[in-house]
Amino acid sequence: MDIVLRAALAFWLIFFLTRIVGRRELSAVGPFDLIMLIVLGDLVQQGVTQSDYSVTGLVLAAGTIAILQVGVSYVNYRFKRLRPLLEGEPIVLVDDGRVLERNLGRERLTRAELEEQARQSQIGSLDNVRWAVLEASGQISFIPKQ
Amino acid sequence: MADQPDGIVLRRHRDLQGRRWHPWLRRGLLGLIALVLVLALFDVFGQGSSTTQAEADAATLSVTAPGAVRGGLLFQARITTEVHTELRDATLVLNQAWINGLTVNTIEPSPLNEASRDGNLVFDLGHLPAGSKHVLYLDYQINPTTVGSRTLRLELRDGETPVTSLERTLRIFP
Repeated sequence: MDIVLRAALAFWLIFFLTRIVGRRELSAVGPFDLIMLIVLGDLVQQGVTQSDYSVTGLVLAAGTIAILQVGVSYVNYRFKRLRPLLEGEPIVLVDDGRVLERNLGRERLTRAELEEQARQSQIGSLDNVRWAVLEASGQISFIPKQ
Repeated sequence: MADQPDGIVLRRHRDLQGRRWHPWLRRGLLGLIALVLVLALFDVFGQGSSTTQAEADAATLSVTAPGAVRGGLLFQARITTEVHTELRDATLVLNQAWINGLTVNTIEPSPLNEASRDGNLVFDLGHLPAGSKHVLYLDYQINPTTVGSRTLRLELRDGETPVTSLERTLRIFP
């Protein structure tokens, strides 16, 4: 029983952390972020399975996380009002070439980072952007002016 | 001009109406996590050692051990008996909290005799002359399923005569 409880706790802890650390940190996966992800995964595994090396333990832990993941996904699909809580909401960063500094600051994004993202989307100047939206996934969508 | 992308509501996603408190909630929750980390730095979650001591005319009994530990961790408890007047048959009596849900890896030096009395552990240390000092090391590992707070009771006896006793709390975090 305890391994199911530990796996559930680990699931909600990671879910909670990813919701509060902000999208800025989650969207970028550089070398450091990749290593941190692996380290975090190892820490979570130790906390969940501890000294249990059994296949049964693996089934229980992996099964718990899978069921919770499907559960969250279903709730997210079924209840529209809970979506902002479960997966966040988009934020408009650029409106008709005008950078919304307040919205950038809210996500701890700098103008330089926004420009970098724009360049990666083959956009040379933010003046040419009709809309830039920081999506719930952490990616920035650019819609150029017509 | 309603040319915003599908799914974007300008009042909410650009002007952030009804969302201004969200960053404060996020900061508050991050603050809670930081608080937990600060508490950990102050040893709330283990496993720094502390000493509890009980004095009597015949002997001073002390236990040095962590007051808080976490599942799976190794730790050591040290029971020190400083003898002031001769103990012909020194005996340590440990209640069940010293053993329930814990794995005892080793006890050094091994007592002359070990027994169970009313569910308690009894370690016979034998004859301890005046002025001597006896240190018993107990090496533990916390069973992963063991959690909660417990009161460890330890009594020093000379045969059937109580000499002194002490209590301390052990908190076990999951």
